Amino acid sequence: MPEKILLADDDPDIVEVISMLLEDEGYELVVAKDGAEALEKIKLENPDLIILDLLMPHVDGFEVFNMLRDERYERWSKIPVIILTSVREEVSNRRYELETGVKMNYASYMEKPVEPDELLDTIASLIGADN
Amino acid sequence: MRHRIIQEIASSVVAAGGVDNIVQALVESTTRGTEAKGCSILILKDDEPVLVHRISYGLSKDYPYQEQLLEKGAMEQVLKGNPLLAWDVASDPRILHKEEALKEGIVSIAFLPIHHQEKLRGIMRLYFSEKRKFDREELDFLDSIAELGAIILEGAETKEQLARDAEEARLEMARVRDEREHFLSFLSMVTHDLKSPLVAVQGYLTMLLRKNADKLDERMVKGVHRSIQRIDGMMELISDLLELSRIESGQVLSELKTVSWNEVLGAAVDMTHELAEPRGIKVATEIGYPLPEVFASEIRLQQLILNLASNSVRFTPRGATITIRGHQENDEVIVSVEDEGAGIETDKLPHVFEEFYKGDPDDPEGTGLGLSICKRIVDMHNGDIWAESPVPETGKGTRVTFSIPVGVTCRLEDRWMLEGGRGVKTAEAIGEDSQIT
Repeated sequence: MPEKILLADDDPDIVEVISMLLEDEGYELVVAKDGAEALEKIKLENPDLIILDLLMPHVDGFEVFNMLRDERYERWSKIPVIILTSVREEVSNRRYELETGVKMNYASYMEKPVEPDELLDTIASLIGADN
Repeated sequence: MRHRIIQEIASSVVAAGGVDNIVQALVESTTRGTEAKGCSILILKDDEPVLVHRISYGLSKDYPYQEQLLEKGAMEQVLKGNPLLAWDVASDPRILHKEEALKEGIVSIAFLPIHHQEKLRGIMRLYFSEKRKFDREELDFLDSIAELGAIILEGAETKEQLARDAEEARLEMARVRDEREHFLSFLSMVTHDLKSPLVAVQGYLTMLLRKNADKLDERMVKGVHRSIQRIDGMMELISDLLELSRIESGQVLSELKTVSWNEVLGAAVDMTHELAEPRGIKVATEIGYPLPEVFASEIRLQQLILNLASNSVRFTPRGATITIRGHQENDEVIVSVEDEGAGIETDKLPHVFEEFYKGDPDDPEGTGLGLSICKRIVDMHNGDIWAESPVPETGKGTRVTFSIPVGVTCRLEDRWMLEGGRGVKTAEAIGEDSQIT
């Protein structure tokens, strides 16, 4: 069975580009266009990996990330998360720590625009490590 | 009488707060202290010879205490500073509104000029329901009471004015702060919205090359590559502009904390290695540890060194060396980044810190903002930055050096400076969430 990746991003073009890339590599892709949808689909689809944008309408990526630490999501808390955003890493970390008081323990942080191979390598290393 | 008046006034005025309460306390206590029926204060309006009624105590509405009670000649005498006592209102030709006075039960009225700091500020009237006579000494004393009243009144008014001024200043500060926060969040939004389409377009172009390069001719492939590079350049420009605006508008205030120069330099050196090694450039360091701590923005200091290092990397040939030096000299930390690149032409050297200045205008890399951002960061930390090319000791390359005082207090435009006391504020830092670079 192909590995399932949940991609949460509100920009349909980013979704399209990453879909092209990941589907070519044989991953199964599930898309969420905001944080609320992402949280639903995590439960429904049980993905092997999450690629999470931070700035999204309604429920943003910070909230999704935080929710994954909540006990209601305990079953999914071990899923590796790649943050893929245009926000600078230290800025996101500072904001998350200020809001939650804890460090943001993502598996990887990538700033847009990302090199396709870099993203693929990161995904491969994370899913490989998980199995 | 004197002791009693002073005690009355002192205790009631001390207990009262706010100008109106103080004035009220003043006329009440003066009335009680002098065993009068009532008391009024009239103030000279802004140095004009017009008396304006301020307050009265102990009188009914039927009595025209707000109006002139003395005929003109007598009034002028009082305004010249002479106290006047009409001990029998009924028969005194100087008194106006006699009938009303009688109805009110007023028998004598004293008119006391209120002086303060050699100037006439107004008059105090004391109304008595029996015939009262004052000797010269008593009149002088009442005169002093009137002056005391003026002092109290003026003090209270000044205090109120100060409070109003302070409140106005506070509101103005809040307005400026709101404006700034508004501006910063606007900037972040604009940046995000400017960059998002570029990221998308670049994504498609990257995929086009990846999947279909074999279907394109060589020129087209090159064109797509160039497009990707141009988009990179534009995104860099947007980031740099955002950085400049953030520094200008005082965003950095929220970043200030105690920063270790050891860590800043250590991290900057690590990042320089990452930049330089893929290009076959060596990185040497000469750092005089331990370096002190400063109150500064860690992010900006790292950005400063990294900007200099990435410039050096850009202009240094493969196999050459970039040297990062750092040491403390008296009250300053001095850091320099030196390369063995082509150097900067002498006539261009004075301009390198100017905005949008590029040594080679045709160079597609770089926005011409990197060094001006460095200059802003150094300025903000009360430091100095300069460039030498060729490096005097070696006769080649370029060296950019900056010095930052150890006892540094971050300096920003005055209006932002005022807010320095607020220190790190959560909302402000959170407002940064949408910073896009």
